[in-house]
Amino acid sequence: MEKLQFYRCNRCNKCTFPKKFICSKCGNTVFNLIDAPEGQVKEISVIRHMLGHKDWHPRKIANIQTNTGVSLTVGIDDDIQVGDIVNIYINDGAPVGKNKY
Amino acid sequence: MIFDPKIIGIGQSKYTRHPDESDSVHNFMRDAICNALEDADLSHTDIDGFAISSFSISPDSAIDIAWRFGLSLNWLLQDTNGGSSAMNMLGHASRAIQTGAAKNILILAGDATGLSGYAKIANSYNSATRDHLSPLGHGGPNGVYSLVTTRQMEKYNLLKSDYANLLVNQRTWASKNPNAVYKTPLSHEDYNSAPMIADPLCRYDCVPVVAGAFAIILSAEDNKRLEKQVRIKSFFQSFNYDNQEGDGTSTGIVNFVDKLYGVAKLSPSDIDVFSIYDDYPAIVLAQLNDLKIIKKSNIKEYLTKTSEQITPVNTWGGMLSAGQPGGMAGGLNGIGEVALQLQNRAGDRQVNNANYGIVTGYGMTLYRYGGTVSAAILEGV
Repeated sequence: MEKLQFYRCNRCNKCTFPKKFICSKCGNTVFNLIDAPEGQVKEISVIRHMLGHKDWHPRKIANIQTNTGVSLTVGIDDDIQVGDIVNIYINDGAPVGKNKY
Repeated sequence: MIFDPKIIGIGQSKYTRHPDESDSVHNFMRDAICNALEDADLSHTDIDGFAISSFSISPDSAIDIAWRFGLSLNWLLQDTNGGSSAMNMLGHASRAIQTGAAKNILILAGDATGLSGYAKIANSYNSATRDHLSPLGHGGPNGVYSLVTTRQMEKYNLLKSDYANLLVNQRTWASKNPNAVYKTPLSHEDYNSAPMIADPLCRYDCVPVVAGAFAIILSAEDNKRLEKQVRIKSFFQSFNYDNQEGDGTSTGIVNFVDKLYGVAKLSPSDIDVFSIYDDYPAIVLAQLNDLKIIKKSNIKEYLTKTSEQITPVNTWGGMLSAGQPGGMAGGLNGIGEVALQLQNRAGDRQVNNANYGIVTGYGMTLYRYGGTVSAAILEGV
């Protein structure tokens, strides 16, 4: 899997995800792509029901906080817990967190 | 000349969890319009302004609906801002009346998406959701607000069971609303034993999708048949207030709350009845906290008091018990309910001596939480 990429303003270095077109901090319009850094799992939910899916298997999502100021929602494996440090990848368009260790 | 807009007519269709084949969104809208016109003592030919919000009218637009419903107009608006649409339409319509652009504006919202249609909307609500959340199987807004709710619980030291008080309170109100889809009283045991949908959200924390429509009429003239008119005393909005960089446990209300009360020359303790947009219990509490109705941000104490005495919040049962006919109509129902309360027309739900009410709208989940919020103080005069 490839690392998820954040968008970093090439003037003020503010990072964002998802993509923005004007930097909310400095108004610049040029962003550089950077690999998302590791992040910490802050909250977890288990999606147990999905409208329109009768054979739905519960899956976990989590809010991940990174040291760039970006927080994002990712899919995680069942063994990941709140407080874990994860690397953030992209899998079929979906951000996923994988245990660093 | 500046006119003073007043809510002079309120109408709704039936709300149903299971619409039959003859229940098109147009039929629901027609019924809501006819009931609002009758309530306002107006004919459709008196309507010269029209605002609509609906997920279900595509490929039609506002003008198509106006044509189908026989409305010839000077002023037209279509709003697409979900849970804030009703308030958006109210704000735009009030300014149109103030400036004389229209005299009688019909504000309409309704949906009949069905569960599969709702699921499709939830998964493609915007490009961020479509591209970055739906592929996770995030469960639509349930997944988004499950994480917000967990943050709120941690921040304010709340237990899952504390939220029961809010849900039980709203269901008690719903039991007095003949149009609510769920009227059977809810017990704490019911809530605490309900199946989880998206932890920590259980079945009762997630709005039941219904088909239905709601309409109000805003006018430059009074409704002479009513003892009390309802006017807008204060109105403010906030959009994308923090670029999704906060935690979602507060809203853009914090940007304008002092102005909201200041313009009205009122304080939080002066407000008698509340319609707080209730897509999720955590968001009701966030708005009440931002509105300073919850004192010193002690949400736990507020919920404890709510369990000891019924509080006049979402006296129609809210979307959580009466049903969500799309967030737009749900928001409009909240406005209509406060207007009924201020006119002493709320029947078994009537709050004593209701003179001032607050209505809010919240919505448009951008990515991690909602990006729009509106609040108004309404006054019975």
